[in-house]
Order: sequence, then structure tokens, then C-alpha cells
Amino acid sequence: MATIITPKPASSTIVGSPINIPQKKYKMITENVNVYYGNFLAVKNISIKFPEKSVTALIGPSGCGKTTFLRCLNRMHDMTKNARVEGKVMIDDIDLYDKSIDPIYHRRKVGMVFQKPNPFPTMSIYDNVIAGVRLNGVRDRRILDEIVEDSLKMAYLWDEVKDDLKKPAIELSGGQQQRLCIARALAIQPEVLLMDEPASALDPIATQKIEETITELKKDYCIIIITHNMQQAVRVSDYTGFMYLGDLIEFRETKKLFTDPKNELTAKYVQGHFG
Amino acid sequence: MFKANVKNRLLVDKIMTGVVITCTLVAIIPLLWILGTLVYGGAGALSWEFFTEEPGAIGSGVPPAIGPAIQGTIIIIGLSSLIGVPIGIMSGIYLAEFGGSWFSKQIRFFTDVFMEFPSIVLGVFAFLAIVLIVGHFSIWAGAFALSLIMFPIVARATEEALKMVPYSVREAGTALGLRKWIVTLRIIIPAAKKAILTGILLAVSRISGETAPLIMTVLGSSQFFGGFDAPIDALPLRIWRFSLQPYDEARLSGWGAALVLVLIILAIHIAVRYWFMNRRKSMGMSPRLSKVGV
Amino acid sequence: MTRLIDPSLDKLSMLMSQMGDMAMECVSLAVDSYLEGKGTGGRVRELSKEITKKYFEVEDLTFDMFLKYQPVADDFRLIRSSTEISYAFSRFGRYAFDITQVRHLFGDISECKNDSLFEAAKKVKHMIREAVLSFAELDIRKAVKIQEDEAFIDRMYKERLPKLIESKNTKCALAEALLLRYLERIGDHAVFMSDAINYIVTGKHRPTQEQISSHISKN
Repeated sequence: MATIITPKPASSTIVGSPINIPQKKYKMITENVNVYYGNFLAVKNISIKFPEKSVTALIGPSGCGKTTFLRCLNRMHDMTKNARVEGKVMIDDIDLYDKSIDPIYHRRKVGMVFQKPNPFPTMSIYDNVIAGVRLNGVRDRRILDEIVEDSLKMAYLWDEVKDDLKKPAIELSGGQQQRLCIARALAIQPEVLLMDEPASALDPIATQKIEETITELKKDYCIIIITHNMQQAVRVSDYTGFMYLGDLIEFRETKKLFTDPKNELTAKYVQGHFG
Repeated sequence: MFKANVKNRLLVDKIMTGVVITCTLVAIIPLLWILGTLVYGGAGALSWEFFTEEPGAIGSGVPPAIGPAIQGTIIIIGLSSLIGVPIGIMSGIYLAEFGGSWFSKQIRFFTDVFMEFPSIVLGVFAFLAIVLIVGHFSIWAGAFALSLIMFPIVARATEEALKMVPYSVREAGTALGLRKWIVTLRIIIPAAKKAILTGILLAVSRISGETAPLIMTVLGSSQFFGGFDAPIDALPLRIWRFSLQPYDEARLSGWGAALVLVLIILAIHIAVRYWFMNRRKSMGMSPRLSKVGV
Repeated sequence: MTRLIDPSLDKLSMLMSQMGDMAMECVSLAVDSYLEGKGTGGRVRELSKEITKKYFEVEDLTFDMFLKYQPVADDFRLIRSSTEISYAFSRFGRYAFDITQVRHLFGDISECKNDSLFEAAKKVKHMIREAVLSFAELDIRKAVKIQEDEAFIDRMYKERLPKLIESKNTKCALAEALLLRYLERIGDHAVFMSDAINYIVTGKHRPTQEQISSHISKN
């Protein structure tokens, strides 16, 4: 009686990117991004081209550098004393790390949603949504009202809160708070949306709603999402990048990466042999 | 064996609870005693004239009034706060948001030491720095001395209050492309408002009762407010002066003044608490679970 | 480290190898019954029923695994192909049974033997064996041979059928027609199987008709 042997993929070489996707424009391109924490190199030489109007997922075991890399994309490391970023992060031909531009102005092109929902604690729903807009100087009440409604509709929260926008934001449930944070990020009209495990702190139904929101948003935005949940990556993303110990191991269309990964390490990770 | 242990532990539990309650009572009883004594001793002096008129000559048989003292206390507290609170808050913001450098560590250390300075030393300093140079006692000098006492309290309270706001809120603000000072001013400080106000309240309570610095700087007076450059009366000073008089009615006034002082401080505390409770109701600060899932 | 999905994968592996062995035996017996006139109908029927039963078990198991574990990568391809391969096995059983029925219906057909049929039958036996082994070892090199054999049977099928119309012996003509038909179908399913095996190993679906023809015409 012959028994069945599990197949091994052919190569163990690193299959990185940038891959060229025909007929797609790229919204964000990183070139040779390295991140140092003191002397420790946390993110090693990553070059990725993120296509517009699509979702790219970054997966990998804990500590592989995904969050560190994501935070490069909107210069969040400026807040951290020990961190040093090298390389280029380009949105539409403008390098965010170019010394001659104003980083804060350009940071508004990239919205970010964090793992744990973090609405501003003393503000109402309304104030939270337009915080980024109003605190940047926009005063016209009609414009603000419009932005609030549009953003909440895009985040699929409008119907649930439209009757009481003055309610304090912290009274919302976890899933609602996270959608509020999404609305807040969208209100400043970014071009790229970064999401760091946006649903990991939420219950399954809230997670489902967030995934539905992402699927709708990708029609207009370039979305980059970190997730630990591989099924979520399969459901939601068009492209997936697998990172391990700071390197980008493989970057391909999601369906291909999950059905036929080229790199042995990728295959091991997605099948749960280590995590 | 296990059962025996349980009996023992329950007993120890009861004993400890008893000890804790006893200690608390021991701490509170003197407080209540003082209040009781104040009410008993000073209630007799209270009257409308007592609050509003000048003390006048002593020895006339009527308890001297403390009108100027009350006015003076309020003015001095107000002025000191005007100086001490903004500076204290600014320092607190600096320490919290821009801390971490060697310089800010020194500032923090200095602030802590400053807080423990005996207030009479600060009074002497104000005497030397202002009274001697200007040539006379004044409200300015008193306000200066008291603001020196207020400043470290407010600074530390502000710093702690700001640190209590979770880091994620700052991240959210930064991610929206807001400049640091806007994030601090418009988002972090409003979030820390309650705690900062509590710190200010503590500082105000502290200086309301300070006597020594006032001796050296405002001197005291029997008249109502006569200009910022002139001396003025204050309740602690009045209480001290009255208590040294041989006349019974003066001492009665002293008790009355002490009672009034304590009542003023109590009133401030209650008013602020009440205000916060109302704010809480209207803002709904306590998070509730929404019935409809997400 | 044992993953949650591993015991189910082991069970699938066992079922598939059992089915493979049974399919090999089944087809061999059926072809022999025709070539050598043996009465193997009973055994073949038994085996065919067993195979079908196991096919349903495999179906249940694979869908269960999709439901529970949402497998990806190698696991996913293995499970997906197992559904196709187990179907092929069940077809082998079925056609084997049909072949024995020819003899059963037609009685003694020893005079209908001819060389080309002989060769085709032998090739089919060989094909089945190759297919089962190819799956067990996940060896896709055997796929080429399987496709060649299938092409051969196809060709023979297309050549012989018209000739049968002119045949004088109705019984033999009909028997041969039926047999060729069954052999051709077995060959088809063997190729489907090798495509599925190719998918497991390479992640690519069946090569196109042009690719196969060009490969064969080269040889």
C-alpha cells in the first residue's frame, strides 16, 4: 500500500518584489527601506509597489517587522526617538522622506487606523470625525457637516449614529469605535489607508463589518493592511506580502500566494507550521 | 487541614478589616473634632456685619469684623493663581510632552525640591526680592510669594495628568497630520482637564491657609483694598493677630475667622466637585455598552 | 508540531491509497476477465461498490476539512485534487464493472479477440498502475507517459470504430465497440487524474490541448 507524500515546493529562494502588475498604476512605491532601532536593523531593504484601488495584506509571524514597516509609510517613526529610517517612500512621485518637503503636510495623504480603537476621549462622534480637518483650520460649518456625513457613510457607521452625533465617542461599542476611527482617517481625504490589524481587538461580527467596509473602500483607496488572520488576508486582499525577520520573503497576488507559494518558508507559515 | 486554614484566614481577614477601619477613624476624628471646635467657638461671631465691615477699634465689646480679610484673601488667591497657574501648566506640559532630555530631568528634580521648601523661606525671599527693593509691603509681593508655592504643585499635577492620557491618543493625533502643539493643546489637555483642575484646586487650597509668607509680604491691614501697591489684610493674618489679643471678643472673632476660612476652602472643593458631576452627566463620561452589537 | 488539520490529512491519505489499490485490482481483473475469459464479475462488482463507498467518504472528509480548517497552499491543492482523483477512482471501478458485464451479457466472446484490443487493454492496465503510483509518489514525470498512452487509445478508438461498421460478426463488433468505449473513458479519467496530480505539485492547471499535441508529435 503506497502512502501519500506531502509535496515540497521547488525553490527556497527569496521571491520578492517589486513585481510588475500590468495595467495597474502604483499609488505607493517603497525603495530600499531600512529601519534601525538604535543599532538593530528591524526592517531590511524592502521595496514594494502598492497598486492603487486595491488591498495589499502584509502577513508574517510576530516580530517580523510588519508594523515597523507600516509605520514608515506615514513617517510615524518621527515620534520615536531611537528609530532611523533609510530609503524612499513615494506617493505619486513625491518621496515622503525628502528633506525639502514638509513631512506633516504630506503625512495627511496617508491615513492610519490602529489595532486598538483610539477615539479622542473627550470628544463627541462629530468632533472626532472632523478632528483632523477642523484642527487644520477648516471652520465652515456646512463643509464640516458634509465631511462628517460622507466619512461616516464611507465607514458604514452613518446609519447607526446619525441621530446622535453629539454623543461621546467612548460610549460606542468596540466595533463602532473602530469604524469611527476609520471615518476619522478618511475625513482628511488621504490617498492611502494604512491599517494595523484593524479587527484583531473586535468580536467576529464587528470583524465582518470591518472587512465589508474595507472591501467597499478599496474601490477608491489604496489600502495596506497588516493581519495575523490568514483567512482574513485571503478574503479581503488582492496582493499579499509575507515578511520574516525583517525581510520581505514573497510578494504576489493573494490567491497565488496562498494556493501556490513559491518560497518554502511562505508555505510553512501559511499552513501553520510556525507562527 | 484545608478547612482549618480557611477558618484562620477568615479570622485574619476580619482582624485586618477592623484595623483598617480603626486607623481611618483615628485619622478622621481629629478632623471632625477641629471642625466641631471651630463651629462651637466661632459660630457666635458670625453675622452680616462680621463679613462686611472693617474691624474698627478693638475693645469696644463687639467682635471685630473681618470684611477686609475676606476681601484680601480672595484677591490674593486670585492674583497668585493668575501668576502661578499658567506658569505651572506650561512647565507641566513641557515636562510631559518634551521630557526625557537631561534638561527636563533637572527641571523635574528642581520642581520636586521646590515643593518641599518651607513657606517661610519663600516669604523671606519675596521680602528681599520685592518688599525691600520697592520699599513697602504690597499685594504684589504676597502674590509673588504664594505663586512660588503654587507653581510646583500645579506643574507636577499637570505633568501627571498629561501622562495619564494614553499614548495611543497622541499617535492618533499625529497620524491625522496634526502638529505636535495642536495635538497637545486641543486634544491632550482637554482630555486631562479634570486632573489638571484637581491639581490647581489643591494648590489653591494650600495657599489659602499660608500665613508665614503673608507676614513678610502683605503685612496685613485694617482697611479694605487700597491698591495693588498697598498692604492688604488676609484671613490667616487676621486669625493670627486676633488670637494674640487679650480681649475676649477679639478671640471670638479669631474663631469666627478660622471657621470662615475653612468654609471658604470647603466651598471651593464642593463647587468644583459639583461642577464636575454635572459635566459628567451631560458628557456621559462613563462608557456604556451599546445594546445593538456593533 | 501537529496541526489541527494533520489527522484529517492522514485519514484522507489512507482512504486514497486504499481506493488506489482497489482501483488497480478492479481494472486488472476486469481486463483479464475479457482477455482470458475468467469469471471475475463478482469480485469486480464488490470492489466497485467499495470504491464508490469510499468516494463518498472522501467527499465528506474534504468538504469537512474546507469548512473547519480553511486550508491553504499545499494542503489546499492536495485536498482539492483529492476530490477529482477520488472521482476518477470511482469511475475506474464503474467502468471495470461495465467491462465484466460485456462478457456476462454476451457470453463467450473468446473468438472476438484481436491484437489491437489486446494492446489497448494492456495499455490501460499499465496506465492505471502508473496513475496510482504517480499520485502516491507525487511524481509528475509519469504524467507524460499517461498522456501518450491515452492518446494511443484515443487514436485506436477513432480508427477501429468505423471499421466495426463493416464487420461481419455483429456480436464481436458490438462487444468490441463497448469495450473500446470503456477503455477510452478509463484513459480519459487517468489523464484527468494526472492533471490533478500536476496541480498538486506545480500549482498549475491542466496544460492545453496544443501543449499536449505538440509534446506528443515531438515524440
